[in-house]
Amino acid sequence: MLIELEHVTKVYNQGLANEVTALREVSLRIDDNSMVCLRGASGSGKSTLLSIIGCVFQPTSGRVAIAGKQLSRLPDRFLTLHRRRYIGFIFQNFNILPALSVEENIMLPLVPLGMRPMVMREKAAVLMERFGISHRRRFPAGQISGGELQRTAIARALVNDPPLILADEPTAHLDSRLSHEFMDFMADLKAAGKTIVITSHDALVTEHKAVDRVIDIRDGRIHVS
Amino acid sequence: MSVLARHLNILDHTLSSLWRRRLKNLSVLLVFAGVIFLIASFQLVTRALTETAEQALVAAPEITIQKMSAGRQVAVPLAYSEKLSGIFGIRRVVPRVWGYYFDEVSGANYTVLGLERDRMPASGQLDLVLDQGESPAPGRSGAALIGRSVQQGLERKGGSLLSLFRPDLSMVSFTVAGVFKEETDILTNDLIVLDIDDARDLFLVPEDVATDLCVYVANQREVPTIAKKIADALPDTRVVTRAQIRKTYQVVFGWRSGFASVCLLTALAAFVIFAWDKASGLSPEERREISILKLLGWETRDILAIRLWEGILVAGLAFVLGCTLAYIHVAFFGASLFRPVMVGWSVISPSLRLAPTVQLSQFLLIFCFSVLPYMAATVIPAWSCASVPAESALGGV
Ligand SMILES: Nc1ncnc2c1ncn2[C@@H]1O[C@H](COP(=O)(O)OP(=O)(O)O)[C@@H](O)[C@H]1O
Ligand SMILES: [Mg+2]
Repeated sequence: MLIELEHVTKVYNQGLANEVTALREVSLRIDDNSMVCLRGASGSGKSTLLSIIGCVFQPTSGRVAIAGKQLSRLPDRFLTLHRRRYIGFIFQNFNILPALSVEENIMLPLVPLGMRPMVMREKAAVLMERFGISHRRRFPAGQISGGELQRTAIARALVNDPPLILADEPTAHLDSRLSHEFMDFMADLKAAGKTIVITSHDALVTEHKAVDRVIDIRDGRIHVS
Repeated sequence: MSVLARHLNILDHTLSSLWRRRLKNLSVLLVFAGVIFLIASFQLVTRALTETAEQALVAAPEITIQKMSAGRQVAVPLAYSEKLSGIFGIRRVVPRVWGYYFDEVSGANYTVLGLERDRMPASGQLDLVLDQGESPAPGRSGAALIGRSVQQGLERKGGSLLSLFRPDLSMVSFTVAGVFKEETDILTNDLIVLDIDDARDLFLVPEDVATDLCVYVANQREVPTIAKKIADALPDTRVVTRAQIRKTYQVVFGWRSGFASVCLLTALAAFVIFAWDKASGLSPEERREISILKLLGWETRDILAIRLWEGILVAGLAFVLGCTLAYIHVAFFGASLFRPVMVGWSVISPSLRLAPTVQLSQFLLIFCFSVLPYMAATVIPAWSCASVPAESALGGV
C-alpha cells in the first residue's frame, strides 16, 4: 500500500499549558510492498508518526493519503473502520490481554466484524500453526513465554489479512535471538506482498537486509544526513 | 456482516469474560437476587392481602348501619328500617345477626354470621367462594357454611354435625352444607354462616332487633348522599360506607407495606450505590482493555455492547431468580420470612395460606428500580472511557 504524508503536524494538548508539538511539517512517501524503518531517539515522535499512518488519530494539520485515499478529514468512526480493514498493528508492549487465551487474543480484531465463530477459529488456527503456538491455544496469554507472546501479537496483527503492517519498537523487550526471529517473520511478510513500517533504534532492525529504507527522525522532523 | 452475528460474537466474548471473573460476578448476582427477592416477596404479600380484602368488600353492603350506645355497638331495632323508607335511592335494607362464639372444647373463637340471604342482592356470590358443597336454599334452617379451621375442628371431634350451645347451654346442631375456599381464609377461616333465624336462635337475639342493618343502594354514586341522609334520620347510629371500610384496610396495609418498602428501597439504593461505585471506578486493567480493543478496531458501540450484555446477564438473571424465589416463598411457604414483620396479621391467622396474584406492573416497577439503575451503572462509566481516543494504549511500556 502506498502511503503519502504532506506537511503533517501533530500537536498534543493544543492550547493547554502542557502543549507538545510531536511532529512538525513531516512529508513522506512509503512505497507499496516496501519495508521502512523509522529511527530516532526516545521522544523524537516515532510512535506519533506511526499512529498517524495507522489511522489511530488524525494529524493536527497536513494531509494523509493511504492507497490514494485521503484520510485526513474523515471522522473518527471511519478511521476505525479503515484501521480494521487495512492495518495490522504490533505494539511495543504487544498489548495482549493476559486473562484471555492465546486464541481469543488472536481473534479479537474479528469479533466486531460479525464473522462466524467457526471462520474466526479457522483463521486463528492457521496463524497459530504458522507461528508454532498451536499448543498454547487455550493458555491464558499471561502465562506464556516472551517469544510466544510476540508471536501471538504478530498473529493478531495478521488475522484480518491487512496489506499494511505497523510495528512500534517490537524488539525493545526481546533478546537478540527473538529479535532476529521477529525480523525474519517481517521479511517473510514483505515477501508475501505486505507493506511494513517499523519504528526502532535497534541496529539489529535497522540493518536487517529486508529493510529498504531507514528514515531518521529528530524532534519531530525528518532528518536527512 | 450482520448486526445479529456481530452481537452474537460480542455476547460470546462477554460470556467468557464473565466466566473468567465468575467469583466476583456470582457474588454480585447473589446479593442482587437477594435484594430483589425481598422486595418482590413483600410486594406479593401486600398485594395478596389487599386483594383478599377487596374480595371481601365486593360482597359487603354499600352501607352498614350500627346502633351506638355509650360509644359501644348495641342491637339495632328492626323498626329503624321503616324510618328509612322515605329516603329515595335505597334498594333494600337487610338485617344481620352476628357475633363471636367461643368453643370451649377446641378453645377456638368462631365468628357466627346470620344472613337473610333471600333478600341479599349478592347472595349468589357465596357459592363462588365455596370449596365443597353449595349454599342451602335461602331460609332453610339447620344448615351452615363453615370456614376451614371450623371444619378441621369438626374433623378432630370426628362428627359431621356442627353442634353449638346457646347461652343457656342447650345445644343446637347444624348440618355442614359447604366449606369456604382456602383463598379466602383471611376472612372465612373462622366463619360460620347461618340463616338469620338460626343465628337469632343460637344467640337468643329477640325477633325485633338485629346486630346491624345492611343497606343496598341502586346507584353507587348516590352512596355518600344516602349515607348522610340516613345519619340525619337516625342520629343514634353510626353509618359506615364500603369506601370507608376500604380506606381503613388501606391505611392498615398501606402503613405496614409503606414502612417495609422504605426499608427495602434503602437496601436497594445501597446496592445500586455499591454497584455504581464498583462500575464507575473502572480498574486500570479495564481501562487498558478498552483502549486495546479500540486500537484493534472495536468501535465505541461494540465496547458498550459488551457492557450492556454484562448488565443484562447479571441483572436480568438476578431479577428472574429473585422474583421466582419470591413467588415460591409467598405461595408455598406463606411468606414465612416476613412473619415477624407482619405481627398483626400473623396473630389474626397463623396458618394463613396466601394466594399471590402476579401483576405485571408490580414486577415492572421492581425492574425499573433495580435492573435499569444497575445497567446504567455498568454502561455509563464505560462510555466515557470508550469514547476517548485509542492512543492511550500506545506508546510507552
Ligand atoms: N498522548 C500524548 N499526550 C501528550 N504528549 C504526548 C503524547 N504522546 C506522546 N507525547 C509527546 O510527544 C513527543 C513524541 O512522543 P512519541 O511519538 O511517543 O516519541 P517516540 O515514540 O519516538 O518515543 C514526546 O515529547 C512525548 O512526550
Ligand atoms: Mg514510542
